[in-house]
Amino acid sequence: MTDKRQRTRAIFSHGRACFAAAVAALTVCCLCTPQLSAEAAQKGAGEQTVTLRVCNWEEYIDEGGWDEDEVISLDDADIFGESALVKEFEEWYYETYGVRVAVEYSTFGTNEELYSQMNLGNVYDMVCPSDYMIMKLMKEGKLEPLSEEFFDGSDARNYYVRGVSPYIRDVFEENEIDGKAWADYAAGYMWGITGIVYNPEEVSKEEASTWSILTNDRFYRQVTVKDNVRDAYFPTLAILNRELLTDDAFRNRADYGEQLAAVMNDTAPETIQAAEEKLREIRGNVYSFETDSGKADMVTGKVLANTQWSGDAVYTMDQAEEDDFYLCWAVPRECTNLWFDGWVLLKDGIGADTAKKHAAEAFINFLSKPENAVRNMYYIGYTSAIAGGEDGLVFDYLNWCYGAGEDESDTIAYPVGYFFSGDNGDEAYVVTAPAEQAGRQLAAQYPSWEDLARSAVMNYFDDAGNAAINQMWINIRCFRLDMMSGGQWAAVAAGGVLLAVTVCCFALKKAEKGKGLPCRIP
Amino acid sequence: MKLRFSRKQLGIPYAVFLVCFVAAPLLVVLYYAFTNGEGRFTVQNFANFFTSPNTIGTLCYSLAVAVAATFCCVVIAYPTAYILARSNLRRKTVLLVLFIAPMWINFTLRVAALKEVLTVLEGNLAYHPFLNTVLGMTYDFLPFMILPLYTTLEKLDDSYLEAAADLGADGVVTFLKVTLPLSMPGLISGVTMVFLPSMTNYVILDMLYNSTYIMGSLIGSYFNAYDWHSGSMISIVLLAIIFVITWATNGFGEEETSRGAIL
Repeated sequence: MTDKRQRTRAIFSHGRACFAAAVAALTVCCLCTPQLSAEAAQKGAGEQTVTLRVCNWEEYIDEGGWDEDEVISLDDADIFGESALVKEFEEWYYETYGVRVAVEYSTFGTNEELYSQMNLGNVYDMVCPSDYMIMKLMKEGKLEPLSEEFFDGSDARNYYVRGVSPYIRDVFEENEIDGKAWADYAAGYMWGITGIVYNPEEVSKEEASTWSILTNDRFYRQVTVKDNVRDAYFPTLAILNRELLTDDAFRNRADYGEQLAAVMNDTAPETIQAAEEKLREIRGNVYSFETDSGKADMVTGKVLANTQWSGDAVYTMDQAEEDDFYLCWAVPRECTNLWFDGWVLLKDGIGADTAKKHAAEAFINFLSKPENAVRNMYYIGYTSAIAGGEDGLVFDYLNWCYGAGEDESDTIAYPVGYFFSGDNGDEAYVVTAPAEQAGRQLAAQYPSWEDLARSAVMNYFDDAGNAAINQMWINIRCFRLDMMSGGQWAAVAAGGVLLAVTVCCFALKKAEKGKGLPCRIP
Repeated sequence: MKLRFSRKQLGIPYAVFLVCFVAAPLLVVLYYAFTNGEGRFTVQNFANFFTSPNTIGTLCYSLAVAVAATFCCVVIAYPTAYILARSNLRRKTVLLVLFIAPMWINFTLRVAALKEVLTVLEGNLAYHPFLNTVLGMTYDFLPFMILPLYTTLEKLDDSYLEAAADLGADGVVTFLKVTLPLSMPGLISGVTMVFLPSMTNYVILDMLYNSTYIMGSLIGSYFNAYDWHSGSMISIVLLAIIFVITWATNGFGEEETSRGAIL
């Protein structure tokens, strides 16, 4: 108790010190740098506060308050989350640009919820939805493009453009909606793939490395699948197209990437029809559809395998390890779903307010600062889209997490060059990790280049396609009278008759009593 | 200076509250229920409700869950409330609190605990989803059945029972002709409090891994798919059903109370 209070006070006084330092820094800046003082003057000498309305996923940013033993000691720096990143951004922005910014931070639970909130009149300046929702918002013209200054790599404060992974940058530049690249509108935040977390004591790697585990009757009622239509549709399509997807001739096609994307984004009516049947089969075999319980159920051993996003997979394996329970990660051999969450600016909120746009872009940059990216990764467990550029901090962190100790003999060389420098053969970016990590946290946090080769982004479906898969989902989940067996009908009929007889008896007795009553009472 | 308000003035906050938080949302739901995507009036959603095998199936399933859960609650709660109210147990209040205490713990926590217990008992929860759901609902709503029953049974005047005994009625007859009719109001309010939420409370269902939708989850899924119109229509029809049930049981209850008064 005392400890806690002391710490609170320490943070508080630290905040005050920061404030004083910031004021002093501002004064100095105003005197020395004409550019900054001009900026400050433009905003009424720092009097005016820019309000930034940010909406992000729940628990998707470092909120500080780490325990003291949680310090991440890297070669170049010690990283420690003392206070929330949002607060630190407000201070940083004032120190750097001499303008006060107040962040109004709120959260959402699903992309659909965010979209509904926006339609219900909640105005945000920047939000962090997933890939397909970014596409939808782009298509609807709701996004404000990122400015040219944001992409100016010569400015040391533009941490995003200087630090974003070349792999992520390429994906954002290659994917287009209506002829406009995602990169013009969105800045990557976290990314990952989907795969299967499994208990190696009961499930072999071979059995886990395929989406067909969902229909494998050896694991009847022992596997879970995600409870939302998109994350359930993807594995279903993979199972349906299994032969094609694992065919070498298909794999070796020059346009393999596009072909794979086309197969995994197919919403033709007959495909949906087939998927509905397959999903019904899956539903009959799996333990449950789960939204969030899958992680805990893996750790407590209720289920043997579950489909999972890579970030949650890391979390699950970490949690299990704390209980001395050993879980593994497999990426299905058919294909995997590559996904992103990215920051976008909203036209509704930003409008023509350049000060606000500047603050919003600075917020992205602040989060992309290597030490902040590391803090976020540590805090939420997902993989940041930031590689750090010239700054080696993110790679150091990766080594800190997964690098093998010097006395370990069974190690592997795990190349991650594709992410850090764009060249997977780059020897500067090879992690020497314990051999088991190739099928555990490391492989989930930074998927191997081979796994990513068979990844596909799941696009936003058009309204008709969307309505069709949603309808399919409802069809699968609803009980239908024609699903009842003869025995069940008989039971219901018996119950009904029983009820009717009781009611009749009751009514009859009452009628009798009603007649008899006046005679009895006097 | 003394502040004086007339009754009318004192009613203003309530009126404002009712308009803002009861009438207005209902009107919005009504609007969505009877319009289509283009905002034009339509009864298509209404027709869909009764023609779609999904909604009809889900309605039947929800009713089945609700009937089963209510039945279990009555079977467990009536004897409990009777014993608590009628016997001369020394630590009656302590016992009552023990039954009511779970209500003070957040229900998700309670269901999570139940989940663990059931897993130990059944081995794998996914084998009996319907049974689990009924157990979960019963467990969760039991205090809502016990409390009203306890209150009515407690208030039951002993002289009625003595009179029945004087007139030669044995225990069974006294119970059937005196205690049961007189406790009807409590029973009915208990039934309404258990039956209606168990038709829609899909959190319990989700937590116990039943992947079949009940009415609540069906409405949620339509809203998730941006189909507010179908979702609103289902809510409206459900509201109508609930209204009819409440009205029917209330009528029943009043009749019983007046009969009780005659007795």
